[in-house]
Amino acid sequence: MEPILQVKDLTVSFNAYAGTVQAVRGVSFDLNPHETLAIVGESGSGKSVTIKAILGILPKNGRIVNGEIWYQGEDMAKYSESDFYKIRGKKISLVFQDPLSALNPIMKIGKQITEALILSKSIEKSKAKERAIELMEAVGIPDPEIRYDQYPFQFSGGMRQRIVIAIALASNPELLICDEPTTALDVTIQAKILDLINEIKRRQDLSIIFITHDMGVVANMADRICVMYAGKIVEFGTANEIFYEPAHPYTWALLSAMPDLDTKEKLFAIPGAPPNMLVPPKGDAFAARNKYALELDFEEEPPYFKLSDTHYAATWLLHPDAPKVEMPEILKNRIARMIEKEAARDGRQ
Amino acid sequence: MTKYILQRLLATVITLFVILTIGFIVIRLMPGSIFEGYDEMTPEMMAQLNAKYNFDKPVIVQYFIYMRNILVHWDWGISLKMNPNVPVWTIVRQKIPVTLYVNLYSLMISLPLGMIAGIAMALKKNSGIDYGISFLVVIFISVPSFVFATGMQYFLAYKFGWFPIIYDVNAVGSAKLHSLVLPILALAFSPIARVARYLRAELAETINSEYMLLARTKGLTYTQATLRHGIRNSLVPLMNIIIPMFTTIMGGSLVVERIFAIPGMGGLMINAINTSDHQVTLATLMFYSFISIITILLVDLSYGIVDPRIRIGGKKAE
Repeated sequence: MEPILQVKDLTVSFNAYAGTVQAVRGVSFDLNPHETLAIVGESGSGKSVTIKAILGILPKNGRIVNGEIWYQGEDMAKYSESDFYKIRGKKISLVFQDPLSALNPIMKIGKQITEALILSKSIEKSKAKERAIELMEAVGIPDPEIRYDQYPFQFSGGMRQRIVIAIALASNPELLICDEPTTALDVTIQAKILDLINEIKRRQDLSIIFITHDMGVVANMADRICVMYAGKIVEFGTANEIFYEPAHPYTWALLSAMPDLDTKEKLFAIPGAPPNMLVPPKGDAFAARNKYALELDFEEEPPYFKLSDTHYAATWLLHPDAPKVEMPEILKNRIARMIEKEAARDGRQ
Repeated sequence: MTKYILQRLLATVITLFVILTIGFIVIRLMPGSIFEGYDEMTPEMMAQLNAKYNFDKPVIVQYFIYMRNILVHWDWGISLKMNPNVPVWTIVRQKIPVTLYVNLYSLMISLPLGMIAGIAMALKKNSGIDYGISFLVVIFISVPSFVFATGMQYFLAYKFGWFPIIYDVNAVGSAKLHSLVLPILALAFSPIARVARYLRAELAETINSEYMLLARTKGLTYTQATLRHGIRNSLVPLMNIIIPMFTTIMGGSLVVERIFAIPGMGGLMINAINTSDHQVTLATLMFYSFISIITILLVDLSYGIVDPRIRIGGKKAE
């Protein structure tokens, strides 16, 4: 299967007063048609910057230093601003993190949905309202006829996120990028929005890149997962591989830090803070916070070690000569419980 | 919205009433008397005059007489010193048009020019254009309008002869505008700079907002996004400075009118104060208060037009 989007060795830097911030350092991934690829990582790991680079909406002081972004046989890394107009909102759409600030507070909801369609002349003005109401229905807005003429402040947070999704879907894109779409919402609304995104994906045959720092959210969404740390992908694999056979100590830490109902022990917290990307550390960037770090981790950057055809991790622990290290006890117990539950569920069916 | 407008109109009337009352009392407390400079007047003559104009009665009685005359007869009293025995309203009525002409023209040219400069600075932030305009902005804000007025009068009018040196009272139509260009410009420089500086700051912030980014990701060009989503959102806070801006223009016009010998309210007010012509002072004070309050009213009402949150939010609270 031909991937619809290929990112190769993407490197993005920002010019700041203090120097050059290396936000993304050689990220590569493929997105297959109709799959959901989750990019997971802490704040500052470079996941949002990666997708901003893909959409050409990096802030003015940011630039793509190196790498390729292949889409429809063209390298978007070389696109000019005007080239992006035929892609943005038409082929690739973005769902924002914070629906409270993503909508223009003084423009009617309906107009915000139809605006781009009318400006790009992809729909006649008279049919635009019809299309907007259809979209609002599709994302689960009750009374769309009335809502069409209202303003964002008359909508709740969850409803606004539905509008943002409707705007993203307006011109039938084939790729939807969701940048932490549920982070700003409370938990009950989160689940509904995630269901909505899954439902739309099925209905419209979308491919999705899903950015989040929340492993719990990923579990319900992703087909494949990339774990990012300090501007690099440290481990990638199918959702099952990442959840049941994680190999990188950072993935272990993330999974251990995920709250669940059954864990009796104190929740694990990753010590320290992400490294300063003005001066990225030598070797494995996670080494300083990693209790399993080897001496080599501080000196030389680990390559990707292959665990399966779909599963790779960049840690020296996987080197044949490395000492045998087991994942932490808390995580092992948790995975065992998950497998048990899975089996119980399958058994009942 | 109708209820809101009525409430605001009522508040305006009450405010004017309060200003008139305080003005009346304060002006009675000012030093100087109408008899200053008339040393040959005998006490009997003074007493007669005092009785004629009710100055021998207690202040509170004078106040009620004054109010009754205004409310019932639209009689603002008569001038006692500047143009003795001419009704104040007759004097004021002649002076208002030219003052409004100069002030409103200044306001009308300063808003669009300031906005264009501000938008240009925000879009080209930290470029040569930005620095160039910013430099002018600092000068226009810090140098008072009468300095520009005298400067332009000397160079543009006297040296180059492009404009009349002083206002030609008999000019009409475009000739009138031509003779008022310099005072209008002198008064407009500072407001232009203020609007530009303010809009630059607001727009620079709006341009970085999430909804601008969303506008671009849904397929708008940078310019489309700025014009359709940036500017209107930056206008809401801008309306806040229109009020102090207009009062600055009017304050400046007190002096600038003198420089160009414009027979307007500014000169009238200064003369009235200097000659202790209380009735005229009070009437000019009321004129300036009225204009300021109407400006505030218009700005408040236009918030609702620009920002639906105020319009619809207000309706809900009713």
